[in-house]
Amino acid sequence: MNRESRLETAIRAAVAAGDILIRHYHEKVDATCKESLRDIVTEIDRMAESCVIDIIRGARSDESIITEERGSVSGSGENGFWLVDALDGTVNFVNHIPFFCVSIAYIEDRQPVLGAVYNPMANDLYYGAEGIGVFRNQSPIKVRNRSGSESLFAVAFSGKNYDPERRKDEFGIMADINDSSRGCLRTGSAAMNLAFLAEGRLGGCWGKANKFWDIAAGLLLVRLAGASLRYSCVDTEKMLVSYAASNPFAWDFLNDRVGAIL
Amino acid sequence: MKKNAKKKLVVYGAGAIGRGYLPWVFDPEVYDYFYVENNLRLAARLRERKQFTTHKTVNGRYLSKIVGIAECFESGQEAEVLGKADLVVTAVGPRNMLPLAERLRPVRAPIICCENDASIPSLMNAATGNDNFVFAIPDVITSNSAPPELLAQDDLSVVTEDGVCFIDKKVEGVAASGRFVDTLELNTQWLAKLYIHNTPHCIAAYLGALIGVRYLHEALKNKNAAEIVSGAMAEMEQMLMKRYRLEEGFVRWYGHKEIQRFRNDLLFDPIHRVAREPFRKLAQNDRLIGAAQQCLGAGIIPSNLLLGIMAAFCYQDGNDPDHNIKYLINALRPYDFLRIIIRLNPHEALFALLHAEWNNNLQILKELKDE
Repeated sequence: MNRESRLETAIRAAVAAGDILIRHYHEKVDATCKESLRDIVTEIDRMAESCVIDIIRGARSDESIITEERGSVSGSGENGFWLVDALDGTVNFVNHIPFFCVSIAYIEDRQPVLGAVYNPMANDLYYGAEGIGVFRNQSPIKVRNRSGSESLFAVAFSGKNYDPERRKDEFGIMADINDSSRGCLRTGSAAMNLAFLAEGRLGGCWGKANKFWDIAAGLLLVRLAGASLRYSCVDTEKMLVSYAASNPFAWDFLNDRVGAIL
Repeated sequence: MKKNAKKKLVVYGAGAIGRGYLPWVFDPEVYDYFYVENNLRLAARLRERKQFTTHKTVNGRYLSKIVGIAECFESGQEAEVLGKADLVVTAVGPRNMLPLAERLRPVRAPIICCENDASIPSLMNAATGNDNFVFAIPDVITSNSAPPELLAQDDLSVVTEDGVCFIDKKVEGVAASGRFVDTLELNTQWLAKLYIHNTPHCIAAYLGALIGVRYLHEALKNKNAAEIVSGAMAEMEQMLMKRYRLEEGFVRWYGHKEIQRFRNDLLFDPIHRVAREPFRKLAQNDRLIGAAQQCLGAGIIPSNLLLGIMAAFCYQDGNDPDHNIKYLINALRPYDFLRIIIRLNPHEALFALLHAEWNNNLQILKELKDE
């Protein structure tokens, strides 16, 4: 299986799942809490996820898939696997805030090597792969070089590994960044934060204990788009990853502030 | 004229127009040529050779000119000579103009934009705060290469047609063998160039790519491809007469001239040069989607143009800046490709036509190869 055809599969699945999200966006949707008040799932998440699984299985039936809701859908293929979050930004979705996306990545040797992030409300398709490049819709994208104080940042806190004391420190860092720059947003979608950084809209973003499926595709996008990037696995079993990424001009600014807690 | 009395001409882009055509317009006996070229290999070769040969096809044979160059800079190293330039000409492609704004801001000499986009001068004037950018239309086809026998004599050879360069009258004092024309005439020439030349020209290239030929004139040897190109040209002519009130005699003459040019088998114009950057050509106001919208607005169903658009969707060249088109066309349903990538509204006529004829047009294009 080559990288190009896998990228095509990721693109096809992301847009198909995005269409499902759009179809149900205006409906009243019941949400079920998982590990925290902000960690919720809906029937629409599951429908979109099934769509992604069906497309990947249809194209490459022997490859393993790990999804947010269903967990592992095992295959017997090569050493890589797919990581899928069919709805990143569920809280936004159920509150009819038009900022959410589908995120699909393929992982080899523990690194994302291709990915697609689709924001169906804006019709923005971000995609990229090693050796191919990184794009939004028609166009190549790259980070925009701006200093930390001139950059807008975003953060993604996870409900996983929640610790009230540590969270106070994290909000302290968020406040410091917010007051030393153009601001620090909590958008509700880690994948979109990373896509926006890759495109140059955001100057940087960071996250604490995010699920790897939320951010794998986004991490690839920012790396290919020229961002400075650091990430580490904080819980292998739960696939929790902390990360910081920014345009190179803002890296010292961001890393100095968040480096200690990553 | 004594050598030290020559004017200084800075040319951005040593490609097809920059190297092949400009020396026929801006006489190297009058100007010292300073090139600025992004392609490092080409820049190094020009610096090393200090000259190249441009061949003009006239009445079925080549008229050759050896052009000496004063210098070829890599991009960003030209500041000193730029300050002393008597004239600057750009031929770098519309996408590459805006990044030049900072460097061109201090220039007070006229800057003639030989770019395939009439909006570039006003864009650059706005970006720099200056008013010295003017438009020119090289009404000519120029290859960025040459046939093997000419390349054997000089590996920097390029071939151009004999044509006219229409230059904005605002810079009439510039020494050039082009035609200085007013805004109205420039606009007429641009409309003809954009729709009667550019549109069918790139369609011929996309059809050639599908057929699997290397040079544009080879694409026109395929009877079905030639019919599509001629058909698209007729649609453009009709549109220009209906929508812009261009005179029938002019558009028919122009179209006939262009078909002859496309068939010029001395030119060896590579398909990949003409077809490059399909997304630029598929932009809302450009020669494919823009042209189709113009036709529909004039009540013309441009069936041949729609085939050309489909051929552009299918263009697959791994070395092209828009090589990502192939992943998108392979991955997405036609509905999603048109909506998300081409940015057409599903409720508009062009979307409906392209979508409805998708499979049929694909089949027609597949059969081109079988001729």
